[in-house]
Amino acid sequence: MLKNPLPYLSQTVRSLPINLFVWALLLFYLSPVFFMIVTALKPTAQLNDRNAPFYPAAPEAFEYQDREYHIYFVPGEGGLRRWAMIRPGREMTEFIDPLDPEAGLITWEGNWRALQKVYRFHIEWSNFTGLLESLLFPRMFLNTFLLTSIGWIAVLASSIVVAYGFSRFPLPGGNVLFYVLIATILIPEKVTFIPSYFVYVNALHWGGTFLPILVPLFFGNAVYIFLLRQNFRSLPVELEEAAMLDGAGPLQRLFYVVLPQSWPVVITVSLLFIFYSWNEIRQVSLYAASNMDLIPLSYGVQNFQAFTPIQNLVSASTLLVLAFPVTLLFLFQRFFMQGLVITGAEKHSSL
Amino acid sequence: MPVQSDSVLPGSKSESLRPSIETRFKRQVGLLLISPWLVGLLVFKLAPILTSLVFSFTDYQLLHPGEAQFIGFQNYRTVFQDATAGTVLWQTVRLALIILPLQLAASICVAGLLGDRRLWLRNTVRTLFFLPSIIPAFAATLMWRGYLDPGMGWIGFLLKPLGLDGLSRQGSAAGLDFLLPLTSLWTIGPSILILLGAFQTIPHEIYEAAKLDGAGRLRRFISMTVPLITPAIFFSLVLNLTAVFGGAILLDRGSTYRGEISSYDGYVNYVLLDLFRVGYASSLAWVFFLIVLLVILILFGTSRYWVYFPERER
Repeated sequence: MLKNPLPYLSQTVRSLPINLFVWALLLFYLSPVFFMIVTALKPTAQLNDRNAPFYPAAPEAFEYQDREYHIYFVPGEGGLRRWAMIRPGREMTEFIDPLDPEAGLITWEGNWRALQKVYRFHIEWSNFTGLLESLLFPRMFLNTFLLTSIGWIAVLASSIVVAYGFSRFPLPGGNVLFYVLIATILIPEKVTFIPSYFVYVNALHWGGTFLPILVPLFFGNAVYIFLLRQNFRSLPVELEEAAMLDGAGPLQRLFYVVLPQSWPVVITVSLLFIFYSWNEIRQVSLYAASNMDLIPLSYGVQNFQAFTPIQNLVSASTLLVLAFPVTLLFLFQRFFMQGLVITGAEKHSSL
Repeated sequence: MPVQSDSVLPGSKSESLRPSIETRFKRQVGLLLISPWLVGLLVFKLAPILTSLVFSFTDYQLLHPGEAQFIGFQNYRTVFQDATAGTVLWQTVRLALIILPLQLAASICVAGLLGDRRLWLRNTVRTLFFLPSIIPAFAATLMWRGYLDPGMGWIGFLLKPLGLDGLSRQGSAAGLDFLLPLTSLWTIGPSILILLGAFQTIPHEIYEAAKLDGAGRLRRFISMTVPLITPAIFFSLVLNLTAVFGGAILLDRGSTYRGEISSYDGYVNYVLLDLFRVGYASSLAWVFFLIVLLVILILFGTSRYWVYFPERER
C-alpha cells in the first residue's frame, strides 16, 4: 500500500497534457490509415454517393414484385418519408411505401436527384473474401513468404558474420575497408543496375526466377552490416576474451557470446529486412514477374490495384498484404523500438 | 573522409609497425569473416559500376550488340542537350529539396515527443508512429488520393473546423506536387527509430546540471539533446537522401520499373528497357551517380561543422 499517493497522483496529472497531445497527434497522423480501414469495409455502392455516411453502410432496399428498389428520404406532408423509388424521373418520380405496398405507386413531383438514399450500417466482408478467392492469394502469399524467408536467412547470416569481422578484428588497410562499406550504402543502384540486368537475364538466363534477387543477399547488406557492427562494438569485450582463453574460435565466440547479447539489434535488422522484402517490387517486376508462378504478393496486389482502382478493394487488398508485417511489428515492438543504436558507448575496439 | 571518429572505426593505432604473428593471424581471420562482403563488393558493385562506365562511352544498342562502337564523350554531350533528362533531373532535385528538410524536421520533433519520459505506453505509441512506414508506396498514394478527395475523403471534414477546407481542393488540383511531400511524412519511421536509439545513449545526469541552471524542457532539447544526437541526424539524413534519389534503403517504397518517366530513375529505365539504348542509359546513370556523389561529398564535407563526434574532444 502506498503511504502517500499524492506525489504519484500529481505526477500523473502533470503527465496528462503531453500524453493528450501525443495521442491527438497520433490520431491525426494515423487518420489516413483509419480511412483505409473504414474504406476497406465499405460496399462499392456507397463509394460514389457523396451523401453517404462516412461509416461502412449499405443502401436500404425494399423488394417489390421480385425486384430490389433503394429507399430514399422523400420530403412531404409529415416530414421525411422513407419510400422505395420505382421509377426515377426529373419532374415526376414514382415511389412505393414499404409500409403500405398495397397502396400501389405514389407519384411525387420533383427531381429524384435531389433526394438522399437511406443507409444502414453494413460491413462488406466480401471485399476481403472475394479478393482471397479471386487473386490466387495463397499462391502469392507462399511466393512472398519463400522469397522473404530465404532472403532473411541469407542476408542475416552473412551480415552478422561480416559485421563481427568489422567489429573485433584488425583488417588490412586499417579503416579503408570500413569507409568502402559506408560508401557502398550511398551508391545509387541505377549505376550497378544496367550491367547486372544483362548478366542476370542475358548471360545467366535467370529471368523468371528469384535468383537475381536472392543471390546478392548471400553476400551481406551494407546497412545491416553497419548497424550490427555498431552494436557489437558496444558490447563488453571481456566475455569474448574469456571464451577465447577457453579455446573458442571466432565463430563460436560470435554464436555463443556475442549473439545472445544482441537480440534487439538482430530482431531490428530482421524486421527491417522482412518489411523491405515483403513490399519489394522493383526487382520483382524486373526479374521474377515474367513467370506467372512466381508472382509475389506485392507485385500481384499492385497490379490488381492499378487495374481496379476502386477505393474499397484497393484498401482491402493493402490490408491483406500488411497483415503479416504488422503482426510481426507488434509482436516484437519491445525489441524493435530499442534496436537501432548507431553510436553506442564503446568499451573496446578490438580483441 | 568524413566519419573520422574512433567510435565508428576499428582501432589500429596501438599496433606496432611490424605486426606480430598473432596480429597477422587476427587479420587473416578478420579478412575471412568479411570475405562474403568483399566478394559481393567486387561482383555486385565494382564490376557493374566499371562495366556501365565502359558502356557509357559506346553507342551500344540492345538490338544490335555487334555494332557497338566507342564514341567517346558523345553520350555525355547528348545528356546535357537532352531536355527530358534536364526536366526529370530538376524534378528529382526539387522534390529532394522539399522532402528532406520536411522529413528531418518532422522526425526530430516526433522523436523528441516519443522520447519523453512522461509518456505512457511508450513502445505502443512508438510502434503506431512507425506503422505507416510499412505501407507500400503505391497503395499509400491511392489511399491518400481518396483521403484528400474533397467529396469522399476525410481531410475536408478534419480541416473544416480550422477554416482550411479549401486546402483539400487545392491539394487535389496540385496533384503530385502536394501529394509526394505529404506522403513522405508517412515514411519517417526508420528516422524516428534512429533518433530514439540515439536518445538512449545520452547520459541522464547531464540534464540535471542544466535543470539546476533553470533551463526548461524545450531549451534542454534544442541546446543539449539535438547537438548530442547530430551523428544520428546525419545518418538518417544520408539514408533519406539516398531513398529520395531512387535507392532502396531500409524500407523500400519504390514503384515498378516500367511505365513512369516522371522521375530520373524512371527515365533511365525508359531509355534502357523501352528504347534499348544501353550506352545512353549508362551515361545517364553515371551523370546521376556523379551528382549524388557531389551532394554526398558536400554533406560529408560540412559534417565536421555540425556533427558532434565525441572522440574529437579528447
